[in-house]
Amino acid sequence: MSRRRQLFLATVVVLAFILQIAVLPQFKLLGAQPDLILVVAVLVAVTDGPMEGALVGFFGGLLQDIVGPQVLGVGAFSKALAAFAAGVLKDFFMTYSILLPILLVFLMSLFEQSIHQAALAVLGQEQLPTFKVTVVFASALYDVLAVFLFYPLIRRFRFDDKEESTLAIRTTGR
Amino acid sequence: MPATPRTSRNRIILIVILIVCVTLVTLYVRESDKGPLHKVQNFFLDVISPVSSGFSKLFRPIKDGFVNLFHLPSLASSKRELEKEVGALKRQATQNAELEKEVEELERLLNWTEGHPEYETVGADIIGQSPDNWQRLMIVNKGSSQGVKKYMSVVTEEGLVGRIISVGSRSAVVQLITDSRSGIGGRDVTTRATGIIEGRNEATVRFTPMNSDTQLKVRDSLETSGMGGTCPPGIPIGLVSKVTKRSKGLTRLIEVEPLVDFSRLDKVLIIIMPQPESIILKEAQ
Repeated sequence: MSRRRQLFLATVVVLAFILQIAVLPQFKLLGAQPDLILVVAVLVAVTDGPMEGALVGFFGGLLQDIVGPQVLGVGAFSKALAAFAAGVLKDFFMTYSILLPILLVFLMSLFEQSIHQAALAVLGQEQLPTFKVTVVFASALYDVLAVFLFYPLIRRFRFDDKEESTLAIRTTGR
Repeated sequence: MPATPRTSRNRIILIVILIVCVTLVTLYVRESDKGPLHKVQNFFLDVISPVSSGFSKLFRPIKDGFVNLFHLPSLASSKRELEKEVGALKRQATQNAELEKEVEELERLLNWTEGHPEYETVGADIIGQSPDNWQRLMIVNKGSSQGVKKYMSVVTEEGLVGRIISVGSRSAVVQLITDSRSGIGGRDVTTRATGIIEGRNEATVRFTPMNSDTQLKVRDSLETSGMGGTCPPGIPIGLVSKVTKRSKGLTRLIEVEPLVDFSRLDKVLIIIMPQPESIILKEAQ
């Protein structure tokens, strides 16, 4: 991954984070709002690979945990794991259709929310949020809608620097 | 299958991430609310709060529109319910107005009864009117079972309405004073000049004085004279509205406007006692 791509993804994560904390709470539907950080992490996992997705999920989740306020690390953990799983699962599908990120975002949204709740339950949080299936599914559907906003963006700006690639080939002599 | 370097690196990074997460979680859970991780969290919370609040204000109009958009079905159903409620309230208001009117009428009738203790009356509702254009009749919901008899007078607070001409067990027919077959003894309140009040199937009735020399003026009041034995004396009938001298003969045409507005009648009083003399005579025979 090129430096420009890294910067671009960092910008997308920050943008998603700002939207997530400042704007989306205003637009809850059925008590749910999309998790843009998760969406971006899963999409990066689909386009760039599981490790990249996991890193985006980790840092984005950590940002969310910090301003939560919630147990620091739980969001980072669940998002990193979900994004990594999405990156691994992607290799099982031989398709570049938009249906793939949609399906993975939907499944990973359910997965991530389940892990998050399970982790909080294991930690014995006194004020465990009520786990509502309708909210979980509404959130997953909301995440699917966010795919249409972020997937073209993440897929388009790949910044595959030909000069960097050529330089690398010359240096290695291959 | 041997793992590629990239796959191995991925696994290592994932494991590192998970270890960092577990460490953070453990430290966070174990420390007190004043611990460093909590302090960091509180600091960022303070930084983010105004930003979040600003965005909240900024997006409030959009949010309201969004909320309204998704609540359209429920708004529509609320609208339908409110429309139903408004309909019910309108009906209730109409009923209340009717009840109020009814109470007013009853009060007026009660006043009349209190003002005439010599009469025993029974209240009745108008339940029908003459079905053709040639009679001026009304049907009331009181009949012989309530003591109503033929020729009994029917009054309101304003004055004489007419008299009973037909009696059923629970209803009776009232011949209005405007009916062309109606003839009632009347007199001028001021001069005491007597005559006959006759209906003409019109809004006004005609007064024919017994004495052709009687001088009547417009706005003179007429009342029942008690002659003929059907109506008790002293019940107001109307005001002279027009006095016309006929070209031939000495008689004059005196038009009287009844005090009762027959178009707005709902409730009336039937004078039960004293009974009309004609009934007493008939019973005696």
